[in-house]
Amino acid sequence: MESMIQSSCLTCDFRPDRLFCDMPAESLRTFDEIKSLTAYPRSTVLFAEGRPVRGIYILCDGRAKLSICSDTGKRLTLRIAGPGEVLGLGAALSNTPYEVTAELLDHSQVVFVRRKDLLKFLREHREACLQIVRMLSQDLHGAYERVRTIGMIRTRRPRIMFRPRALLV
Amino acid sequence: MLTPYGLDIIESCLACKMRAEHIFCDLPPAALQTFESVKYATAYPKGAVLFVEGQTPRGIFVLCKGRVKLSICSTDGKTLILKIAEPGEVLGLSATVSGKPYELTAETVDPCQVNFVKREDFLRFLKEHADACLRVAEQLSEKYNTACREIRSLGLSHSAAEKLAKLLLEWSAKNGEAAKAEPRVKLALTHEEIAQMIGTSRETVTRLFADLKRRQIVQAKGSTLLIRNKAALKALAITQ
Repeated sequence: MESMIQSSCLTCDFRPDRLFCDMPAESLRTFDEIKSLTAYPRSTVLFAEGRPVRGIYILCDGRAKLSICSDTGKRLTLRIAGPGEVLGLGAALSNTPYEVTAELLDHSQVVFVRRKDLLKFLREHREACLQIVRMLSQDLHGAYERVRTIGMIRTRRPRIMFRPRALLV
Repeated sequence: MLTPYGLDIIESCLACKMRAEHIFCDLPPAALQTFESVKYATAYPKGAVLFVEGQTPRGIFVLCKGRVKLSICSTDGKTLILKIAEPGEVLGLSATVSGKPYELTAETVDPCQVNFVKREDFLRFLKEHADACLRVAEQLSEKYNTACREIRSLGLSHSAAEKLAKLLLEWSAKNGEAAKAEPRVKLALTHEEIAQMIGTSRETVTRLFADLKRRQIVQAKGSTLLIRNKAALKALAITQ
């Protein structure tokens, strides 16, 4: 492992820079109790598209690739998530299967929070709930941007010619 | 009583009968009371534009009655329809929360009743009412889900036939028609609009429909489409 394990959110040095993590002291204490921290090696799949939702994952460090898949197994990378990002949020809140697959690109520390605990936490901590709403809005902006770029490349010539090679897995 | 555009306007959210069915509207009494004091009930005719992509967000629009077309536009003027919003949906939500420009254009398909809430009022409302905040998060998650589905369909489907088949199957799964062997689909959109939904030309959609009819996969009765051969349509929808 390249970095030290940061077992408690309360003593985490990165906290002030992270949108979700930078919450009031009291909320943070509650959050610290419901989360569990794990270190995963590179290429671990945190969750797969279509699987029932278990909870959310927060990347403490490292990056994760979010991709979607066609019926025949062709993949399209949506984006690369960085440290501090919350993954699986949409699915956890609407209680629908995960809409994307998240695969780690680096050795990473990942915090997991069960769906049930998360909902209870959000109900009790208004600030955190607002932050979640803001983050979801950003996710949505990103997704619409992707729709715009993919949707506008029309079918005259094979679409594959326009797509950067890096995005085809 | 005369009503604008033949709509029966629901003046008060407190007395609204449809509230229980809509995720966002089904708020606890205290939150509902506050919401009632910040919202403006308005009526729009068919074809009215609620907001345009790129505009600074003014606030949210809760769709009470009617349907609204949500589209994205490219720089060269091509339109892509993301979805047709149904009553109960909150429009302009993510832009209002984040303060970034509206990312979609919303245009009414029918005469609509829309409840408008100003951005400052809405943000204050969210801060004060945690339950509403969670509802908003749920709405945003659903929208994210739709966007992902759209990306999958646009980015990973190969042919227009495949995308049209997927769209028809999706529509046929609504309104309790899913279990029927020969589901009916009410086509509310023109060929041009369907083309904009799947990212192809109007000519291609017309040709594909003619082809589906010739192969007896679907049968048209006015604006209603009867899916005669669901299995064949499903086979078409699978990525080659």
